[in-house]
Amino acid sequence: MTSRSASLAAASGPETAPASAPQGPSPAAGTTPKPDRPLLDTCRMFARNCPAMTGLVLLATIVLATLFGPGLYGVDPFSMVDMPFAPPGPDCLLGTDYLGRDILAGVIVGGRATLAVGASAAAITVLIGVVIGTFAGYFGGWVDAVLMKVTEFFQILPTLLFAMVLVTIFSSSLVTIAIAIGAVSWTATARLTRAEFIRIRDLEYVKAARTAGARDFYLMFRVILPAALPPIIVAAALAVGISILFEAGLSFLGLGDPNTMSWGMIIGQNRDYLLNAWWTVTFPGIAIFLTVLSISLIGDGVNDALNPRLRRR
Amino acid sequence: MRHAYPIAIRLVQSLALLVCVVVLNFLLIQLAPGDTVSVIVGEMGGASPETIAALKAEYGLDQSIPAQLGIYLGKVLTGDLGYSHYFNRPVLGLILERLPATILLVVTSLILAFVVGTALGIFSARRPKGILSHFVTVFSLAGFSAPVFWTGLMMLIVFASLIPLFPVSGMADVARPGQGLGYVLDVLHHLVLPAVTLGMIYVASYSRLSRTSMLDVLSADYIRTARAKGLPERRVVYKHALRNALLPVVTMVGMEFGQLFAGAVLVETVFNWPGLGRLAYESILRRDYPTLLAILLFSAMLVMVANILTDLAYRLIDPRIRGRGR
Amino acid sequence: MNVIHRLTLTTALAAAIASASTVGHAAPKEGGTLVIGSTSTPRHFNGAIQSGIATAVPSTQIFASPLRYDDQWNPHPYLAKSWEVSKDGLTVTLHLVENAKFHDETPVTSEDVKFSIETIKKNHPFKTMLQPVTSVETPDAHTVVIHFDHPHPAFLLAMSPALMPILPEHVYGQGDIKTNPANLKPVGSGPFEFDTYKQGEYIKLKKFDDFFIKGKPHLDNIVIQIIGDENNLMLSTERGDIDMVPFLSAVRDIERLKKDDNLVVTDAGYDAIGPINWLAFNTRKQPLDKVEVRQAIAYAVDRDFIVKKLLGGFAPEATGPIVPESPFYSGDVDKFAVDIDKANQMLDDAGLKKGSDGSRFSLTVDYIPGDPEQQRNIAEYLRSQLRRVGITVNVRSAPDFPTWAQRISSYDFDMTMDNVYNWGDPIIGVDRTYISSNIRPNVIWSNTQQYSNPKVDELLEKAATETDPEKRAELYKEFQKIVVGDVPIYFLNETPMYTVYKKGLKNAPTSIWGAASPLDDVYWDDGSN
Repeated sequence: MTSRSASLAAASGPETAPASAPQGPSPAAGTTPKPDRPLLDTCRMFARNCPAMTGLVLLATIVLATLFGPGLYGVDPFSMVDMPFAPPGPDCLLGTDYLGRDILAGVIVGGRATLAVGASAAAITVLIGVVIGTFAGYFGGWVDAVLMKVTEFFQILPTLLFAMVLVTIFSSSLVTIAIAIGAVSWTATARLTRAEFIRIRDLEYVKAARTAGARDFYLMFRVILPAALPPIIVAAALAVGISILFEAGLSFLGLGDPNTMSWGMIIGQNRDYLLNAWWTVTFPGIAIFLTVLSISLIGDGVNDALNPRLRRR
Repeated sequence: MRHAYPIAIRLVQSLALLVCVVVLNFLLIQLAPGDTVSVIVGEMGGASPETIAALKAEYGLDQSIPAQLGIYLGKVLTGDLGYSHYFNRPVLGLILERLPATILLVVTSLILAFVVGTALGIFSARRPKGILSHFVTVFSLAGFSAPVFWTGLMMLIVFASLIPLFPVSGMADVARPGQGLGYVLDVLHHLVLPAVTLGMIYVASYSRLSRTSMLDVLSADYIRTARAKGLPERRVVYKHALRNALLPVVTMVGMEFGQLFAGAVLVETVFNWPGLGRLAYESILRRDYPTLLAILLFSAMLVMVANILTDLAYRLIDPRIRGRGR
Repeated sequence: MNVIHRLTLTTALAAAIASASTVGHAAPKEGGTLVIGSTSTPRHFNGAIQSGIATAVPSTQIFASPLRYDDQWNPHPYLAKSWEVSKDGLTVTLHLVENAKFHDETPVTSEDVKFSIETIKKNHPFKTMLQPVTSVETPDAHTVVIHFDHPHPAFLLAMSPALMPILPEHVYGQGDIKTNPANLKPVGSGPFEFDTYKQGEYIKLKKFDDFFIKGKPHLDNIVIQIIGDENNLMLSTERGDIDMVPFLSAVRDIERLKKDDNLVVTDAGYDAIGPINWLAFNTRKQPLDKVEVRQAIAYAVDRDFIVKKLLGGFAPEATGPIVPESPFYSGDVDKFAVDIDKANQMLDDAGLKKGSDGSRFSLTVDYIPGDPEQQRNIAEYLRSQLRRVGITVNVRSAPDFPTWAQRISSYDFDMTMDNVYNWGDPIIGVDRTYISSNIRPNVIWSNTQQYSNPKVDELLEKAATETDPEKRAELYKEFQKIVVGDVPIYFLNETPMYTVYKKGLKNAPTSIWGAASPLDDVYWDDGSN
């Protein structure tokens, strides 16, 4: 359930060089031309993509609901407001959990923590991935070799299992969970960034900047990175979705943070009651599903919009 | 023979990485609170300090950390993965007993996801803006977006409880075990739900990737040439383009093997599949470090084998590499 | 008090009662397989060195023991056809049946019994169980004489199948018993012999044809299937893949399965297990070192709500350290009926005023991972409930059992949920929690509350050697009153234990040990299975 960012991100950059066959020439390696008016074209492409726009609207709704929902729906998710396992009805729209706590309040308030974990884990993923990918891709040579070995090392560890170990050791709080997720899932971003750097670093305008006397750091972060950003942004968005799924999975296995209401926590705490009180697990599950789906649809749309082949046809 | 040299290099590198895996895991476990002895003592309902000390000595936990690491490394190199104090048996046997179930599950899911994913991807690449293409997009992304344990639980309720088509638990009927073909059919019957659940999340990956790469290939020069020569479109697509379009997907399959294995932890828990994933979860709960270390090592090894196989597959499929040296 | 008398009944009467459970049933049908569902994976099957249900269920099928018990705490002959307790209570003599054989066809002798008792004394986690045993003599092949350094009233119960499996010395006598391969391929003299074990999947047992009780067992096979996931176990049971689930304590599942017409759901049996679910306090940590603070918390917690609502009415309430099923139970204790105002008042009086945020102080509550209904849910409940008396509660989860055990046994906690078993006799399962000599750092399920009351120590020591059941019960009565009033622990509920089985199954286990006793009487009525 984890590093799908690898694949989806791979789809965005033609040379997301395969781990196992770094020498294997990809059919379209290094041939992507820079579009003339990239941003406008991309936006136009995106706007015409019906599923992607649906995703955008959906995500906006969810984010707004978690931001303003708790103010509008003033039920404390930790208070016992009704009988345990009250089914959905007029009093509690989505029913109550094993203590009689309101599921709707839990879903609304829990969205904040869930999205926060998703976003911060994704930020960690991208930060580590971009730094490693940048250095490897820019300098090449032994720097590249060493960093890629490190990446390969992390790539052969089964992500969820590794994250489980980390959370077990460092106790389960939202912070450790976010760090654990970030620490195990940055490899795909690193490879993607590296591939983009390798593609861009020899383009004419970079060469020109270098000839003009630009320093390495300037070239890396001011010249090349901005050009490499679009697919990285897509990967980052997808990383948010994957991190949300990750948090849910850890919670399901009983490794979630018990003191913070999150979607994963509601599912994890109620999982044994699925057969007896379907609403307890189903609604937070749907919330996760819709959030990740909207992020994926957007990511996919941006992907397509960035893909010159699709544009040309 | 021409593949031998690069493969040999990879093997050596892989071994080095495996040693790193062992060291990393060992260090992580040193950071963990509680150890095997505390588990045993807990299960005994308590013990005197002398008993605890004796147990620590028995399990080598009274040695210095580098010494413990050295002992462990030495044993691993000689094929001794240690003794599971929790399950009371050598770890190697424990793992080998669970390994086939996991490989069966993971490989089946992989094949399922690969076949369905690439089929959907290529199908939608033919008409990238059609309604069906959008449908494929949404369908495959939906499979990817639902938490896998949740999908699994829903599958259980729908296909095992409401419409009891499939069994809910385990790998075979333990009360009335079948023989020969009957057993094989029984296992396949048990395999359907877990494999579909696990495979579903990768359909999205493979369909997206094969779609993009198919689009790339279809606009490449040599395909245009083929079209220009007047070859029938079907032949162009399936004969010339498909093979090249599959390359990145094959690579991805190899790369994601480790992730697939991780997903198996959740699926095996939900479906009570007697594989390594469930064993890993159980050994984390029980702080059964020898078992946990060995599972991490084994899964890393599996991923490497998968990577090497992918490498080979890549060389076989890719006409350019294949052509080299002729 | 009748029951107590029976506990110490000797030979003649007990032998005469014989296996009462088969009476009233016409000739049982032979054959068939019984599939038992279980959520936990056993470490191995040797109950002589390992406690716990996961081991006890298979172990009691494979190994016979000197005595066995019915559902009324009556001992019955098993491997011992008769037994005598000396007047001074310092000697027990067992007379073994002569035709008993181990599964490898060697005869069961007094030497094997001696070996087993010594092995259990040395290795079994319940240290107090055989501690008074000084020596074991074997005057002939079928007589065993056990000597004690002081009277040991709990000994007869300690000879139950769940606690005293008789091991063949020639199999288990060599080397370190903890790593003996026969722990995973056990050889005993019980009704079923070991067939196969697929690690983490199932244990298969088959009928032992030379079982020393003729005509038993009725079943051909017992398969114990291990299903870790609760939902999965329920679905399997509803579909009929599983024939019986013993030791079921998840109340929502009990509730659900009760509605199933094909199943029988009963709480009969299990009286000797006596599991109590409670909230323990660290009595040496401020402000919990004040007895009024602990009492105030007891008044703030609504035990009735927990029992009736959270646990669906399936769990009996626990009012003290000894379960009501025990002959030593006394209900003459403070019940702490919920009273929020009183709790607030007591805390005010103790000088713990509410701060500007409405909070007096904050406490952490830990819980044992793995049993959400009894443990985590109630910890979560405390968070919500104790806010009403101005106590901020932070729930501390532990990822695994050792982490929890480490915190509690090193006294790094304020409050913890805990679930501790009575194990039949107070000497085995109760004393350990309250006696001050058992405040042992790093030992879980010792007196981790660090509770110390000289009067309690004195009462427990007297009761441990008192052979007159009536006098013993008096001592325990006083003990219960003091401990409940001191609130080192607030007792919440008895863990419900139910057996679920298919309607066609007859003589499902109802002994005081539930399914952790030989299933040689069990048979299928319809014969189709």
